[in-house]
Amino acid sequence: MNTAIKSIVIVGGGTAGWITAGRIAAKHKSNTSAGIKVTLIESPTINIIGVGEGTWPTMRTTLMKMGISETEFMRECDATFKQGAKFAKWVDGTPNDFYYHPLMLPQGFNKVDLPPYWQTEFSHQSFSDAVCFQEQVCEHGLAPKLITTAEYASVANYAYHLNAGKFATFLQKHCVNKLGVNHILGDVIQINSAENGDIKSVTTAQQGEIFGDLFIDCTGFSSLLLGEHLAVPFVDRSDVLFIDTAIAAQVPYEQEDAPIASHTISTGQAAGWIWDIGLIHRRGTGYVYSSKHTSHDEAEQTLRDYIGPAAKDLNFRKIPIQSGHRKLFWKNNCVAVGLSAGFLEPLEASAIVLVELSAEMIAEQLPACREVMDITAKRFNETFLYRWDRIVDFLKLHYILSKRSDNSFWSDNRNPETIPESLQELMQLWRYRSPGNQDFTSNNEVFPAASYQYVLYGMGFKMDASLIAHTLDAKHLAAEQISQNAATIKKALNMLPTNRELMKKIHEFGFASV
Amino acid sequence: MSNLVALHNNAHQSLKVNTQLAEAQGGNLHMIPVVLSEFLKLAVQFPIVLTKNKDTGRFSCITLFGFQTNENLFVKNGEWDSLYIPLQIRRQPFFLGNSSDVENEFVICIDTDHKSLQSDIGEQVFDTTGKETPYLENIKAILAELMNGEASTENFVKTLAELNLLQPMRLEITFKNEDSMRVDGLYTINEDRLKTLEIEAITQLHQKNYLSSIYTMITSVGHIYGLIERKNKQLSGN
Repeated sequence: MNTAIKSIVIVGGGTAGWITAGRIAAKHKSNTSAGIKVTLIESPTINIIGVGEGTWPTMRTTLMKMGISETEFMRECDATFKQGAKFAKWVDGTPNDFYYHPLMLPQGFNKVDLPPYWQTEFSHQSFSDAVCFQEQVCEHGLAPKLITTAEYASVANYAYHLNAGKFATFLQKHCVNKLGVNHILGDVIQINSAENGDIKSVTTAQQGEIFGDLFIDCTGFSSLLLGEHLAVPFVDRSDVLFIDTAIAAQVPYEQEDAPIASHTISTGQAAGWIWDIGLIHRRGTGYVYSSKHTSHDEAEQTLRDYIGPAAKDLNFRKIPIQSGHRKLFWKNNCVAVGLSAGFLEPLEASAIVLVELSAEMIAEQLPACREVMDITAKRFNETFLYRWDRIVDFLKLHYILSKRSDNSFWSDNRNPETIPESLQELMQLWRYRSPGNQDFTSNNEVFPAASYQYVLYGMGFKMDASLIAHTLDAKHLAAEQISQNAATIKKALNMLPTNRELMKKIHEFGFASV
Repeated sequence: MSNLVALHNNAHQSLKVNTQLAEAQGGNLHMIPVVLSEFLKLAVQFPIVLTKNKDTGRFSCITLFGFQTNENLFVKNGEWDSLYIPLQIRRQPFFLGNSSDVENEFVICIDTDHKSLQSDIGEQVFDTTGKETPYLENIKAILAELMNGEASTENFVKTLAELNLLQPMRLEITFKNEDSMRVDGLYTINEDRLKTLEIEAITQLHQKNYLSSIYTMITSVGHIYGLIERKNKQLSGN
């Protein structure tokens, strides 16, 4: 007889735990008697990490699928809009050195390959500014939509910045009250195996033994179930990505109605980079650095200098980062989601999106019974190993084109021995043509070709288009896209409110659902 | 230009309102807010739909006169060509303002620069003794109906939004002269949602006497075709 999957136990009550609980409970009707039972065990003694404050636009779908109102989410999680990232001082570190990675495709992306034309005809303008209107929207501090735009709909594509602590609490409330997730406060003190090596149950100090058919490890860096109990080894990626420490501080606004940046600001530093994320009442900032290239005291001073006089009264929190991931993510009847599966570094906000992608795949492809679970596990592992590799490549891309030489952090990053072969191969192809959809053909891509274009040309990469000159017959069409983008910029600047203005309206009036 | 002052029988004793000019002032409006109490009369000829306030994003009930700014297909040569004229038009040039003396009290105000006050003919507002004329009494009744109506209509709309009963209308219209136009920003009742509404919600709508208004709105949407017809006639010069 088949062993149906009827009960799922999630260990860990941070962002990963609740997103996974919510997606599964919504899809599998945990609030009905016929649905699958979802139990989340949260430790009353361990705090969540809670520094993941940047999302991807995918978060809109994730929230929608859980039946969450965008207005409520934004109000309760201090959330603001994020329209991509501004990379300052990554190329040479001079004051005017910046480029954008916006969240929208270049104008006419599916009609014409703009980079070769941009390079010869329009490079007096930065690539992102010439091909995408979102950079100007961000530079002017404008929101990606209007108060009359429906929930989750957009004028310009957007993601969120949010308060991770409040987000976990908000999701908890929704999952428990609306989606039928069973919430247990307890410290897991023992993991009990079945004969086939599966996890049979976990024993908690406060609530005794809890049984399940599938266990989801959301225990953060400790990776209690997958890493510790099932002994799945950790694959260290610090040979490619050098960041190993973060120092974070929350900075209050000088005035209550100070402008809120509508993008993540990422500023290159001697041995890493500083993130700067604008929420409603404060900014979240942090310096992620390589401790092999700078001391902690130096790093703290760097962050203090960045923040300015306000740094005097702030608390600085140090967080170690182990760049890498598990060799497998799903073993036996246990799958890891979130930091327990791995973490690289905060660049490009890949942590929460991996949680969403994992939760989605588990929810959508949940094995019906134990007998087919190993097949799902195999597919899950293949999918996510591919995704982690692509993310490593894309993050590394940000470092290898820098011309900075103020610290060996940057030259070490350019050392070919630290660059994955897959990325090196792509870089060779792109010497003669731009990144295109043909380079990324899997169903499981995380970053599209357009993202590679924004980073490559933002960092000043030059292609030699002479060998494909005979194919460049769309000059007119290309010029049309550039001027259409200019027109869209004008229209957008005219129509969109500032980020702060819209935030006030969201708190006062809210969005309508249509 | 406008000059807004409180109406007073001394200062405005000789005031005359040319009602035709007053109503014709609406000739450049393509939509106007309406209240629940006039739904049935409106529904004879006008589409009753919703739009969002651009500052608050909140819904309000409006009736459509045209498809673009300044287009009123119901006013021809300064005269309304309709069986009913909405209250917001008929109240002109009067409106309610907050009293400067008593809190939460309203006074009747007037726009003294309004075109309808500039002619010699028209309805007297006060008689020779300074007493209100039947014309002003009628205006007062309209203003009172509007004031009460705004609050009840707001509650009605709020209920519709809370029950997710609204949906955007997508109008792609091709007129006789082949001009096409996309009209955005209008909303109407989501009939599919209404059909599957939970029994508790239906009871709630029934108790508040909203059901008939909802069906009136649904029926009135068909008048969009009447509006297109008017536009086509205008385009062919009739």
